[in-house]
Amino acid sequence: MEKLFQAIYGGILYGSIYGLMAIGLTLIWGSLRMLNLAHGSMYLVGGYVAWAALNQWALPALPSFALGVIAAALMGLIIQVLLINRILGRSEFFNAAMIATVGAAIVIDSAMLLIFGPRVKQMPPVFQGQFKFAGVVITYQGLLIVVVALISFALLWLFLSRSRHGLSIQAVSQQMDAARLMGIPTVTTFMIVMTISGALAGLAGVLLSSVFYLSPTAGFNPMVKALVVTIFGGLGSVKGTIWAAYVIGLVEAFLQVYFGAGAALPGLFLFMIVMLVIRPSGLFGLGEAQRL
Amino acid sequence: MLRVTDLQAGYGGSEVLHSLSLEVGEGEAVVVLGPNGHGKTTLLRAISGLIRPTAGTVEFDGQVISGMRASEIVAAGVIHIPQGDLPFPELTVMENLLMGAYRPEAWQERKRKMELVFELFPVLGERTSQLARSLSGGERRMLALGRGLMAKAKILMIDEPSLGLAPFLIENVYHAIQEINKNGMAILLVDENADHIEDLADRVYLLESGAVVKEGTVEDVFSDEALLAAYLG
Repeated sequence: MEKLFQAIYGGILYGSIYGLMAIGLTLIWGSLRMLNLAHGSMYLVGGYVAWAALNQWALPALPSFALGVIAAALMGLIIQVLLINRILGRSEFFNAAMIATVGAAIVIDSAMLLIFGPRVKQMPPVFQGQFKFAGVVITYQGLLIVVVALISFALLWLFLSRSRHGLSIQAVSQQMDAARLMGIPTVTTFMIVMTISGALAGLAGVLLSSVFYLSPTAGFNPMVKALVVTIFGGLGSVKGTIWAAYVIGLVEAFLQVYFGAGAALPGLFLFMIVMLVIRPSGLFGLGEAQRL
Repeated sequence: MLRVTDLQAGYGGSEVLHSLSLEVGEGEAVVVLGPNGHGKTTLLRAISGLIRPTAGTVEFDGQVISGMRASEIVAAGVIHIPQGDLPFPELTVMENLLMGAYRPEAWQERKRKMELVFELFPVLGERTSQLARSLSGGERRMLALGRGLMAKAKILMIDEPSLGLAPFLIENVYHAIQEINKNGMAILLVDENADHIEDLADRVYLLESGAVVKEGTVEDVFSDEALLAAYLG
């Protein structure tokens, strides 16, 4: 019984993390139809700026984390304005954007290396300590991650479905020509999406850099996992991505608890291959046909 | 109100419109008839800014709008209701209509506008929380028109309102468009089908290979048997 609760808690924790990372990617895909391979770098910027604020500028915790999130959001906006805006509308946009964001990622990661050095950093957790519930060890930091993630998802959902600008982001994702005919400014929409996406990745970086160490290469793994979650949940669907994040998180946790840490990754990939064979466009994907 | 002069436009290097000129006056209902592939849709897209004209000008209310961004042309009051409706498939009827009122000046009046749309198209009022992708053909057409009406429009440009609809639905749609025109809205309508335009059109242009080949009232155009045969097939 203890194992079951352990797996459930682990699944919810992983799911929250994956969700925070993956939602930004799916928003970008939905509206811009591009894969942002600098996403991991924004995770890194969030973590590093928060670390610097805390350790070098001696700011208190909350402002430090806020700075990290803001810095990552700004980074997303800068990438959009400097790079992506220039290649919008070109015929090879998808490939060009991928290459451009890889380039941005290399620049940003190298900058982090130059500024902060190669040694790993650790962020102190916001809340120290842990407790036991139903035989499961739960850290307060873990609880914080779950709560912050859930609140972020709820706020994002409210924004997308109830506000004029949020609806316009959905509109641009679903039918861009029609959106333009309603006077929705697509370039501004893309900038808003990249900023939100950066903020969410930065938030993940801030929260997770206390659980995992911060190093110049630390952004890569979360980004790959986020991509996998995004594809599994259906590119472009926010609802699908959140579901996928928790499904994948739970599967991974169950595999870990019942079959050991080594079984988790292979088992996970097997599960995903099977799912994608059954549903190629992911759980809730805006399918290929609709995209074209 | 709307003046198109010597417009040239096309796709990827090949020109579809060749020195096309037309006018729509205040409150007028102007119909452009033409077979498929001759530039009807390209014409509207070039006016609304979805594509950029390669030559010529489009003036609206004395302002040159050719070359402006689509969102700015919408702000000027030129509303294009596209061929195929282009609904937002995963949004509800209500959300689709709200997006029609996206611009701030239209957003302020969205509640009142929505009531007007539901008066004109009661079916939409019954299906407000239905996803657009599950609507029937006729309902999608009404949604497209309703969405256009939610904006602060000074002219409605409608692309093939009869496309894919059963005959009695086409009558309903044209009847609604007449109502809208009677209330003072300028209309520029393009269609392949000349069956329902008699009661609506103040003037007609015949379009062939991207240029105007005849202009006149409905009587003028319908009295030329040979020309009409070419368009009604």
